[in-house]
Order: sequence, then C-alpha cells, then structure tokens
Amino acid sequence: MMLVGSVIRTLLVLAAASLGAAALHKNPGVAPAMVLVPLLVLLIYPTFVSPVRRYRAWGYRMDEEELRLAHGIYTQVETLVPLKRVQHLDISQGPLERSFGVCKLILHTAGTAHSRVVLPGLSRETAEAMRGEIRSHIRQEIE
Amino acid sequence: MKGGTIADRRVHPATVALRFLKDLPQTLIGLPALFALISDTGWSYVLLIALAAAIVLILVQWLSWRRFTYGVGAREIVIESGILSRNRRSIPFDRVQDVDIERGPLHRVFGLAKVRIETGGSAKDEGVLDSVTLAEADRIRVAVRAGKAGEALVDAASRPQEAEGQLVYAMSPGRVFASGFFNFSLVYLAGIFAALQTFEPLIPFDIKNPGRWIGLIDEDAVRGFTPRAWLAVLMVALLLGVVTGLVRTLASDWGFRLTSEGARLRLERGLSTRSEIVLPRNRIQLALIRSGPLRRVLGYAELFFQTLTAGKGGGGQHSVAPFATDEEVARVLGQGKRLQMPNRADMQRVSSRHVVRSAVRIAAAPLLAILAASFFRSEALFLLPLVPLLLASSFIRRRVHLYGLNGDTLFVRDGLWRQQLWILPIRNAQAVTLRRSILQRWLGLATLTVDTAGAPMLNAARIVDLDLARARALMADIAAGVSAARPQHDAAPGSVI
Repeated sequence: MMLVGSVIRTLLVLAAASLGAAALHKNPGVAPAMVLVPLLVLLIYPTFVSPVRRYRAWGYRMDEEELRLAHGIYTQVETLVPLKRVQHLDISQGPLERSFGVCKLILHTAGTAHSRVVLPGLSRETAEAMRGEIRSHIRQEIE
Repeated sequence: MKGGTIADRRVHPATVALRFLKDLPQTLIGLPALFALISDTGWSYVLLIALAAAIVLILVQWLSWRRFTYGVGAREIVIESGILSRNRRSIPFDRVQDVDIERGPLHRVFGLAKVRIETGGSAKDEGVLDSVTLAEADRIRVAVRAGKAGEALVDAASRPQEAEGQLVYAMSPGRVFASGFFNFSLVYLAGIFAALQTFEPLIPFDIKNPGRWIGLIDEDAVRGFTPRAWLAVLMVALLLGVVTGLVRTLASDWGFRLTSEGARLRLERGLSTRSEIVLPRNRIQLALIRSGPLRRVLGYAELFFQTLTAGKGGGGQHSVAPFATDEEVARVLGQGKRLQMPNRADMQRVSSRHVVRSAVRIAAAPLLAILAASFFRSEALFLLPLVPLLLASSFIRRRVHLYGLNGDTLFVRDGLWRQQLWILPIRNAQAVTLRRSILQRWLGLATLTVDTAGAPMLNAARIVDLDLARARALMADIAAGVSAARPQHDAAPGSVI
C-alpha cells in the first residue's frame, strides 16, 4: 500500500529531472546527447533506487498508548508520540496523493521540535481509522 | 459532521471580497514592476492585465472559500480546507484552550469576525475561521464552551484576589551586582573587530591576513600597530562588555522577587520598567539549571522554569532565579510540581564510544584543514599540537554529559563551558526521538531527544550517544511514564484553561 507513495516520489523526481534536462537542452553549443546521457545515468539512483530505499526505511506502529515512526536511510530517526499528547489531527491529501488514493496523517503535539509529526502514504481508510483511534485516546485522557 | 452542534458549513461569502481587498495592496505594489516590464505598451494593456490578475485572484479566493468548510461536532471541531492539497483537521474540544474572536478594521466594515481556536500546540494557525458573522462567532464559542462543559471553566477575570504571597526567592542589590559581573558579553569584542574591518583603509596594515595580526609572520607589517595597542583595544572591549552586562542586569533584575501564591508563582523584576509574570504551577513543564564556568566555581547558577507556549503570560523559559546558590535553587525547585535535584548516584555517563564520536566530530575537520594547509605553508604544521587539546576536550565532554531516570523524572546534564541540567518530569514529554547518524550506527550509538511544550527549538533536552540498547530502553521507559501518568487536569497541557 505504501509502495504507491514511493511511486509518487519517483514521479516527482522524474518531473524535476526532465525539467532540469530541458533547461540544459536550451543551452546552445552543447550537443544534447553529451549532456543528457551522463545525466540520465546519474539520475538512475535518485529516480529508481533512492525512492525505494526511502520507502523501505519508512515504518510505523501504533500501540495502545503510542505511535512509533521510523524513517531515514542514512540518518535513521525513530519518533515516539504518546497518543495522549496529541493536540489535534490533520488528514492531508495533495493532488498527486489523491490520484493514488493515499493521504498523510499529521499529528500535532504541544512540543516545539516535533510539534508536527507526519505519517505519509496511508490509505484513506487506514488514516481515518487511526484518526478515530487517536481521537478516542484524547477523549479517554480527559474523562 | 452529522449530529453535531453546528453542521458543516462555509465561512461567510463576503470573506472572498474581504480577502481580495486585503491582498490588493500587495498586488498594487507589483504593478510598478509590471509597468517597467511593459513600458512600451499602452495603458490599456496594463489595465487589462491588472483586471485579469484581479479576476484570477478573486477566482482563487472564491475556490478556497468554496473548499473551506467547518463544523462543530459533539466532541470536536472539524475544518476542511485546500484547493489542490486537501486537508481535514480535527481539534477535539478537550484540547481547545481558548476561542478568540478578532475583528480588524476590514472585518468591521463587513460586520464579520475572525475566530481563532487556540490549542496547546505551538503552531499559530491551528484553527482559524476567517471570517464569519459576529453572531456565528459567538455561536461557535458557545458551542465549544458547552462541549467542554465537563471541565471546570476558570475565568481569568473572576479568580479570587489572593493576599500577599510567600516570598520564595529575592535578589539583594549586592546579588544583582554580582550577577551583572558574570553577564558580560563578548559582543563588543566582535563589534570592535568589525569596526576595525570597516575602517580598514585608515589602518596601516592588512587586517585580512590573520598571520599578520596575530604577529606570527611578517613582523614589520605589524609595526604600525603595536601589541600594546592591541592589548589596549582588547581591554576597552572587555571593559565595555562588563559594563554593559552590569547595566543590563541591573535594569532587568533589580528587585527580583519570586513569591508563591497558592497555585501560582509571581515573578517581579526590573529597575525602571517593572515586569510581572505569573506562572501557574501546573503549567511548569520542566526546570533547567544553567551556569557558566566561573559561576560554577563560586557555587552560583541560574534556574529556569519552562512553561507552555499557549496562554496570556507567554510561554518559553522564564528565569526564576537568575543568580542563586545551590540551596536557593533547591528551594525554588521545590515550588514546582515533581521537581527535585538529582541524586549524584542516579546520574550515569553515556557510552564510552561517545569519546570516539566527539573526537571524530571535533578534531577531524581541523586536522584535515591543517594537513591541507601544510601543503601550501609548512608553518601550518605548528598548529598540530592543538589537535590533542581538542581530543582531550572530547574526553572531558563525556565526563560532564550525564543522564539519569529517577522514578518519573529524567535528568540530563550537558555542556563543557556552560553547563545545563534539565529536570524533566517525564509525564510532560510530548514526543521522544531517537536519531542515529551513519557514524552513530557504526558505533552502535543513538541520540535521544525529549520534546516538551514550550521548549526552545535548539535547546531541547538531549542525551547524545547513548548505547543503542540503553536508548531504546530509556525511550520505552519514558513512553511508559507518560502513559502511566494518571490523567490529571493540571498536568495535561490541553486540559488547562
């Protein structure tokens, strides 16, 4: 399911790359192939390898009491958010994400450095379900 | 939102006009640029373009108005927004701190109001309804207040005036002076160097060449500016630094008084402008003790209480004892909930591999730079003896970096020169992050950061280079501590009004 997310990223990278290639292409005096071929070779990693790796590095687990996120290829970051510390929740969906039917769940806490914890690439149902779950935790804490 | 108090709806249509009028000045500023761009074309073209731009603007505003809906449910406020990126935000009533109604001049013209729903989060635009009619704004406020009815609403205006509180900590004039001496800033040193740089043409030597002004190379070039003159400049800068530090401290800390009044702490300070801050005890998130090298030797430190960002008193870190002895620090600490000094025995050092990592981080770059420089100038090799000094500092760094978890309080001590000690009741932790860079993964280390409400961005409680297994265990302990904390109105940021 989260593979879709990586596809989106690939597309984004590809779009950026072709833009860059087009910009170079306009430069007169340089044979297009001379620039484009090495560029394409260089682009293999960022377009095909890196998104997959980045996707593989993403993970989350929701327990009774907390949400854990992990991401990052080189610098690996694990974040733990106690559910009762969540202030409010966003479900956000960009145009590309919408066409693939995925969305982002954003938890807002009262903290400073991690006041926004983003969990991307969730299906709409999962995100809604998680939101309901977290919401009930906030409620429980008060009662 | 079905079954809610206020069904899903859009904000007032006049918002489109209102926002357009608000954006107009910015657009007008853009017009001269437009003129410059198409100066050879006629007026009519310019007007046409302006008109087209206006239409596009209105269209965009209209679209965003169409896509913006809000609803007040039985338990939460739901706000949907976004033209391309759709966003659906839910704010549970329990987390709402306050509902503000704002009215700018333009709002008044249209008879509208902007409703701002404040929660404990640090973001500014948590829930803004721009704009609804005044009656609707009141309705929203009432609906939210009613939804929160389970909680006792304490109105700030109606709280009883209490009698004179109990004095916890005060600074005598002598203490203020002493504190001022330690607050000297070296900004002036930098300032004077900057000034010298500015008037460089007037000074008979090349200031840009560091070798010359250190006096290492090219002795005769420095002759115009003798070491004695340099010393004088340095002394003046130091003196200025001390004097300004003194003046600044006198102005801000004169007559510093911290009094305890039931559930609150009152802080008064200042010479000409007396400022007064009220800190509700249950809003105190953590305590931070900071001291410089000289102050530490003399047994003085500064104590801060960190409070929530939201609220009228302002959040962030408040100095509650700018220059206090250990005994006084402990006394003030006792005023906060669940705050105490750590036992020496509870504090542990981080992994011994911290030395390796900090050595690599501190010494690698200078070492490489020196080696690279020695290719061009063999004198650079004389700087090599400095490297072991840096390495030694990384050993000391590990000795001063301590942490400890005692029951429900986390202690973190850090800093080579400016030592800081965080006293963090773990129930106040907002999120915990475990971060591992490549080097840390090779060494099996991790850095643990505990985020709290109202913490400054760059100075959060951080335990650097813990053994990975330890870090994981500590992370789990903190999470368990937050979960185990009994739901209490006073400690949860969202439930405080």
